[in-house]
Parts: sequence; structure tokens; C-alpha cells
Amino acid sequence: MATTLSTLKFEPGEPRYGRRYVWELPVRLSHWLTVAAIITLFWTGLYISAPQLSTAGEPWQHFVMGNIRMVHFISGYVLLISFLIRSYWFWVGNNYSRSGFPFVLKASWWADLKSQAMQYLRLERGHVHLGHNALGGLTYTIFVIGLGWFQILTGLALYSESNPGGFWSVLTGWIIPLCGGSMQVRMWHHTMAWGFVVFAILHIYIVMFDSGHFNNGLISSIVSGFKFWEEGDLDNDRWVS
Amino acid sequence: METKPRIPVLWLHGLECTFCSESFIRSSHPIVQDIVLNLISLDYDDTLMAAAGEQAEENRRRVMKEHAGNYIVAVEGNAPTRDGGVYCTIGGETFLNILKETAASAKAVIAWGSCASNGCVQAARPNPTGAKPVHELIDHKAVINVPGCPPIAEVMTGVIAYLLTFDKIPALDRLGRPTMFYGQRIHDKCYRRPFFDAGQFVERWDDDGARRGWCLYKMGCRGPMTYNSCSNMRWNNGVSFPIGSGHPCIGCSENNFWDNGPFYERLTSIPVPGIESTPDRFGKVAAGLTALGAGAHLVSYAVRKASGKKIGGASTAPDQEAGK
Repeated sequence: MATTLSTLKFEPGEPRYGRRYVWELPVRLSHWLTVAAIITLFWTGLYISAPQLSTAGEPWQHFVMGNIRMVHFISGYVLLISFLIRSYWFWVGNNYSRSGFPFVLKASWWADLKSQAMQYLRLERGHVHLGHNALGGLTYTIFVIGLGWFQILTGLALYSESNPGGFWSVLTGWIIPLCGGSMQVRMWHHTMAWGFVVFAILHIYIVMFDSGHFNNGLISSIVSGFKFWEEGDLDNDRWVS
Repeated sequence: METKPRIPVLWLHGLECTFCSESFIRSSHPIVQDIVLNLISLDYDDTLMAAAGEQAEENRRRVMKEHAGNYIVAVEGNAPTRDGGVYCTIGGETFLNILKETAASAKAVIAWGSCASNGCVQAARPNPTGAKPVHELIDHKAVINVPGCPPIAEVMTGVIAYLLTFDKIPALDRLGRPTMFYGQRIHDKCYRRPFFDAGQFVERWDDDGARRGWCLYKMGCRGPMTYNSCSNMRWNNGVSFPIGSGHPCIGCSENNFWDNGPFYERLTSIPVPGIESTPDRFGKVAAGLTALGAGAHLVSYAVRKASGKKIGGASTAPDQEAGK
């Protein structure tokens, strides 16, 4: 079924409130792995690009840069694994796991995008979506999927520089000449990392606003998986069934 | 090696500064006299030949004919391509044509230095003469890129010695560079690497770290992204190399190194027109604007709530309806 915005209808006598299991375990797991990885990656990345802590004594007594780079690389692998889990679950999970997909070819998706944006801007009480709304889905596509894969691929390309011809070098090394050299890859990797800061501000604010405004348990849903619905809420997440 | 005939080498000079030749003649292992006098037959080289004028060009054409498919073309510098290549002409002919003609029946082409390998300064933005590196101008011919501004003398003679000894092209990487000399970064073999791993960095040219020989990473060192042999082979018979002399590597053997400035900064600035900014400044402004937008939304929400206006409008207010 297409992305029709079907509202939850009720038979007389049926309860008007309820909760539904929306975010399955792999979705929640991937979310929190990504959060942990990105926070770690961002701070270690800032250190790697401009190391601030100076150590005294002889170099054999310290391994600060070495350790921080190791943490950065491990977090990079965590982010990659988290993305692979989420990509897999996009195909095998419930329909809510696919609800963020940007259906740019469907008029109903554009209509939902517009109405959601207007609701936020005009502070209106609209219908709550059980899955992602179109605006949320678009934001996650750009700032998580697009930006995330960009950072993973450029990061792996830079990581592969220490072993030219190795596994990651063969897989991602082509990115370096494509961007015009290692310096350019570094510059873009660093610039785009700020995109996560922009996203974190947007995401945390809008989730808190939405959760407080609609009382739908949005924040707790990423821990428990359950979201609350009430009569009139939208269940527009049945595009693959 | 002693019984092999000396292989003819045509050494062309295009847009360049002859610094590669200067480096070449300082080779000690193998010593350059041995290469030029015993191993190769240097039949054409603007700066190192006895012939001049028409005689010199005649000599080049004779070698091309007599040793077709069996001579090596060594190119120093690159060719401008704009306006038919008129910005570099030799003996009344454009260097672009000379290069294509000479390389056509060569056994192999060696691109000496960053000019020939990746464009270097004359191909830096805005590249007014349309200068292009050799491998972009020649088709169907093995081109060995030996970048560096200039390349290390022993790397140059080493490439020639390899070609003569094994009679084949050395193993090349993705960018056509011999992996035996360009397989690792300067950073990977740098004697200051322990200071990098420990987190001990020079902050200013005259600080204590500089005197102690700490890592030059924060002074803009390009060692971590430059593939070359400087840190293990070094220069001038192994005397020193830039980092050994207390100066950061500027990455002269990497593509577009002139465009990746400033040399003394770790990060190059964002090359998008209209954004004259460093990545960090750009990121902080973007994050600040986002926070400002979210804050404005929250303030307008609070103001509207405080003024007693009903938030939510007409759409639905099921919580109130349902509550009754």
C-alpha cells in the first residue's frame, strides 16, 4: 500500500488510546550505537585535527595521540556496524523501520512534508505519526544516512592511507583522488562532522518539543520501543506490506 | 648490465624549472656519472647535451626512428594545452606536439617531478595555460610518475636502474607511482613519529617543543598525507630532509599541493566560492544558527502559551474531547 495518510479509526466501544510497539530492538540498538559512536568520534576527531593536551617528559612515557586515534577508529567501526544493522533492518523490520524513506515521487509524501513543516512553524496541533513523518524522514535521510555514509567512507579512505593496497584502500581509496587529494578529503571529513552538531541540535530540540507537545511518548519510545497513539493519529507507514 | 646495450633516453623539458635535473645530477647511489656515461645513452637533454639548435632536434628525430619502440622518454615539466599549446614552444614547435610525437613510439615514459606527474605550480588554480600532467596527454603508454618538487635524486636514478636491470616497469600504485619509493607516507617512517603518538607537538617556531624536536603536525606538516621516501632515504646523500631540519613537510609530491594551502595550517580552507572560511569556523556558525532557530521556535511557543492563546488551532484536540 502506498503512503496514504490513513488515520486510526475506531469502532464504538474500542479504546481511544493505546500504545503500539513501533521501534524494534535493532532500530533502538542502532540508534544508541550511533549516538555513542558519533559523540566519541566528534570529540576525538577534534583532538586529532588540533591536539590540545600537551604532555611533558619523554615520548615513550605517553601514547595520547595514539590512544585517541585508536578510540576514533574503534568508534568508526562501531558506527559502520550500527549502520549495517540499521540498513539490514530497513529490509526485514516492521513497516515503521521503513517509514523514514523519502518518497520524492509520491505526491502524498510531499503533502505530508508540507503539512508537517507548517504545523511546526505555526505551532499547530496536528496529527501524530506513529512512524516517521515526512519531514523527520527527510532530515534523517540527509543528516544521518547521507552524512553518516559520507563520514564513514571518507573516514575509511583516510584510515586506509597507512596501508595502501590493503582491504580498505581497495574498497575506499578511490575517494581520495576523486576529492582532489588527501588534504581535501580531510577538509571535507572535518567540515561535514559539524553537520552532526547541527543535526543533534535540531533532532534533540524537535523530539523534546514534539514529545512535550503531543504527549505521545516519543522520547521514551527510543528506549522502550513503544509509542502512544490516540484517536486521529496517523498510521501512514504501510508502504511495504 | 655490462653486456647490455646502453638504452637511449630522450629527456624532454616542458614547463618546468630544471630543479629535477639539478636533483638528478646529485645522485650518489648509483652515482650519476655511472648512469649517464655507462648505463644509458642520454641522446637528448636540453641542459646536458653537446648539440644545439637544429642539430639537437635532428638528433631526437634520428633516435625516434632508429630505436623506435626501444627508447625511454623522460619528461621534466608538463605541457600547456590552452590555445593550441603555444605557451611552451621549442624550436618553433609546441611542446605538446613534441611530447606526443616523441612518446608515441617510446618503450616507456618517465614523468619526472610533480610538474610531469600531477601538474604542480603551473597547473595550480587558476591554471592560466591549461597545463596538464604527462599521463593525461599520452594514451596507451606506460607512464611512471616520479613526483616530488623535485624528486629525491636516488629515487630518480633508482627508477632508471630498475628499468635497466629488470627490463620492466616497476610495480606502480593507483596514481602510477613506483610503490618501492612511494608505498608509504613520510609520516610512517618519520623519526619524529613517537612525538606524534605521544601527543607532543611544536606550537610555535621558537617554543620548547621546537628545540626538543617534537612533532611538527600542528605547524601544518603534510607528512601524514604525503607518499615519499624523504624520511628514510633523505636528501643530499642521506644528510637530512625538511622535517629533520625543523620544518614541516609541504607535501610537494602530492597532487594539487599548491592548492592545499596555507602550508602552515593543518586544514585547508573550504574551496566553495562564497565560503572563505575554515571548516571549524563554518561549523560553529552553522551550529550557532541552528541553535538560534530552535531557540526562536521555543520562545515563540512559550510566548504564545503565556499569552493564553490556544495552541494547536482547529485541527483536532482529541485529548480534551476524549477527556470529557
